[in-house]
Amino acid sequence: MAVKKSLRHIMNLYAISAKMDLAWLLRDTKYALAAVLSDTISNLSVISGVYLIALRFGGIGGMSVDEVLFMMAYSTITTGIFILFGSGNNLHISRIIGRGQLEHLFMQPLSLKMQLATSGFVPFTGSGNLIMGCVILAVAIHRLHLEISLWWVTLFIIYVLTTMVIIVARSYLVSSAAFYAPVAAEEISTAAIEGTWQLSTFPLSGMPDFIQIPLLTILPEGLMAWFPSLCLLGRPPLHLTEAYPLAYALLLALTTNFVFRKGLNDYVRKGSNRYVPYGFRR
Amino acid sequence: MYPTDFAVSMNHVTKVFSQWQRDNTKAGMIRNLLKPEKRRITALDDVSFTIRKGEFAAYAGPNGAGKSTTMKLLSGMLLPDSGDISVLSLSPQKQRIQLMRRLGILFGNRTELWWDHPVIQSFEWKKVVWEIPDEIYRRNLATVIDLLDLGNLLQTFARELSLGQRMRADLGMMLLHSPGIILLDEPTLGLDVVAKRQMINFLKKINKDNDVTILVTSHDMDDLEEMAERILMISSGKIAFDGSFTELRAKTGNLTRIVVTMEKGCFPELEGGNLLSYGNEVFEYDMDLTEMPVRNLLGQLSTVRGVRDVEIKKAPIEQVIAGLYRDWNFDKTAGSGNI
Repeated sequence: MAVKKSLRHIMNLYAISAKMDLAWLLRDTKYALAAVLSDTISNLSVISGVYLIALRFGGIGGMSVDEVLFMMAYSTITTGIFILFGSGNNLHISRIIGRGQLEHLFMQPLSLKMQLATSGFVPFTGSGNLIMGCVILAVAIHRLHLEISLWWVTLFIIYVLTTMVIIVARSYLVSSAAFYAPVAAEEISTAAIEGTWQLSTFPLSGMPDFIQIPLLTILPEGLMAWFPSLCLLGRPPLHLTEAYPLAYALLLALTTNFVFRKGLNDYVRKGSNRYVPYGFRR
Repeated sequence: MYPTDFAVSMNHVTKVFSQWQRDNTKAGMIRNLLKPEKRRITALDDVSFTIRKGEFAAYAGPNGAGKSTTMKLLSGMLLPDSGDISVLSLSPQKQRIQLMRRLGILFGNRTELWWDHPVIQSFEWKKVVWEIPDEIYRRNLATVIDLLDLGNLLQTFARELSLGQRMRADLGMMLLHSPGIILLDEPTLGLDVVAKRQMINFLKKINKDNDVTILVTSHDMDDLEEMAERILMISSGKIAFDGSFTELRAKTGNLTRIVVTMEKGCFPELEGGNLLSYGNEVFEYDMDLTEMPVRNLLGQLSTVRGVRDVEIKKAPIEQVIAGLYRDWNFDKTAGSGNI
C-alpha cells in the first residue's frame, strides 16, 4: 500500500513537471522551440561530424559506417535521456550546492533523491534528441540487418541505463567538490558532463591501448557509447567482458554515494555562506 | 521522546561555525596556502527556550547574533553541534520530511515561487509536492486569495511581481498546506508601509483564528512589537532576554519621549531630559520616567513659560533595543579584556 502510494506520488511529481514544461512551451512557444531546435542541432552536429568522417573514410578503426551510425544513435539516445530528465540543474547539482540552494530542497517534504529524480523532467521541450536518437537507431538497425530479439532490447535498455548511471554518478562525484569550495566548483558538473562530451562520441576502435584503456577506466568516455555499442553489436572490445560497463557503473555509483553523502553531511554541519537567488527553479 | 506541550523546544543547543581568515599581503597569501587560518564563530552558545503552541513570538538580535542559524536549525537545514531540538514533537534533523508537511518557512530574501511561471502554477506545484488534499487546497487557496489580496496576482509570472507582491504570493504559498507552525526570517524586509501592514494583519489573523504558532525575526522592532506577544532576544549566541515587550521596556528603564510645542521664541529646559531634536517650535526629549516621575515632569513643565502643547509617549522600541545592543556590546568587549 505504502509502495503504491509512493509510486503514485512519484508519477504525480513527473506529471506536474510535464505540465509545467508544456505550459512553458505553450506560453513562450517561440523561445521554447528555438531552444529545442538549437539543442538538437548542437547535439546532431557533434555526431554528424564523426559520422561524416566515417563516411569519407569508409568507417573508423575497424568499425563500418553503419556501426558508427549505430554508435551515434546510442549516444544521441543517452544525451536525449539526460536532457529529458536533467532540466533544472538536478543533474548539474554542483550549481545548486555551490549557490547555497540545497536549503530550498530541504524545505520540501520529499527525500532529496525523489526531488532530484523528478524535478528536471521536461518531456515536451526536452525529448527532441531522444526521438531523433530513436530514428537514427532504427535506420542503423535496418542497415546493419540486426536481428532484434527481446533479449537484445533488454540488453539495450540495460546498457543505456548503465550509461546514464555513469553520467549522473560522475556528475555527482565531481559536484561533491562544491560542498567544500562552492564558488570554485559551482560549474564543475558542466565541465564533467559537457567538457568531454565530444570525446565520448568518438569511436575508439583502432586506437592504441594507452588511449583506449584510460578512456575506459580513469575517464569513462569510452563507456558512454563506444563500448556498449560494440557489446550490442556482439563484439566487446579489448577482450573485456560485456558486463564491464555494469561493474564500472556500480563501482562509480558506490564511490559517488559515499563521497556525496560525506559532502552533504559537511554541508548540514557547516552550512553554506553563499546564496545565489536564481537557478534552483526552471 | 520529544516534548509534546511545546511547538518548539531548544535544549542546550550550540552551533559553531568557522570562518576563513586571510590578509591581502603577499606573506598572508603564502601563509594561507601553507596553513589556512580559520576563526571560530559561536552562532549559538548553549541556547535553551521553548515556544508554546499557538504562541506568536519574536526573535530579535543584532546582525550576526544567530537568528537565521536558529531558523535553519529549527527547519532541519543545519545540524546542531550539541543539544536537542524539537519542533511539533519532531526532530528537524531526523524527521525532516514529516516535519516539512507541518511546518511553513519563509526567508524574506528568498522565494519559493517558480520564476518563469504564473503564481498559480507554483501553488499547483506545491499541492502535488506536499500532497495537499483537494478540499484543503481549495479552502486554503480561497483564504489566502481573500486575506492577502492575491486575486490579481495569480495569473502573473513571478518574475514580474514587485517585492511586496512576491512576498504576499510567497506567504500565500507557504500556507497552502495548513502548517501548524510558521518560521519567518525577515518577512518584512524591503516592504513598503502598505505591504508591511497587510502582512502583519494577515499573520496576526492566522495566529489568532487558526492557532498557528509563529516565530518571526525582523530588524524592524516596531513591527515585531505590533505582531508578537513575546520577544526572545539573542546576542552573541546567547538568549539575552525572554519576556514581553513591556518587560523589555522596563529592563531599560521607562524610556519615554516628551514632545513639547512652544510659543515662538520660547525654549523649554527640562531637567533629566535629553534633547533629541527641535524645529518649528517643537522640541523632542528623551527621558527615563523611573528617574523622573511623571508628577515631577508635569510640575517642571507647569513652570516653563510659553508651553502650548505637551505629548508624552513611549519611546520607539528601536531606541530601547539600540540601548540594549550597546550595553551587550559593551559587556562583551569588557568581558574580552579589550577595555
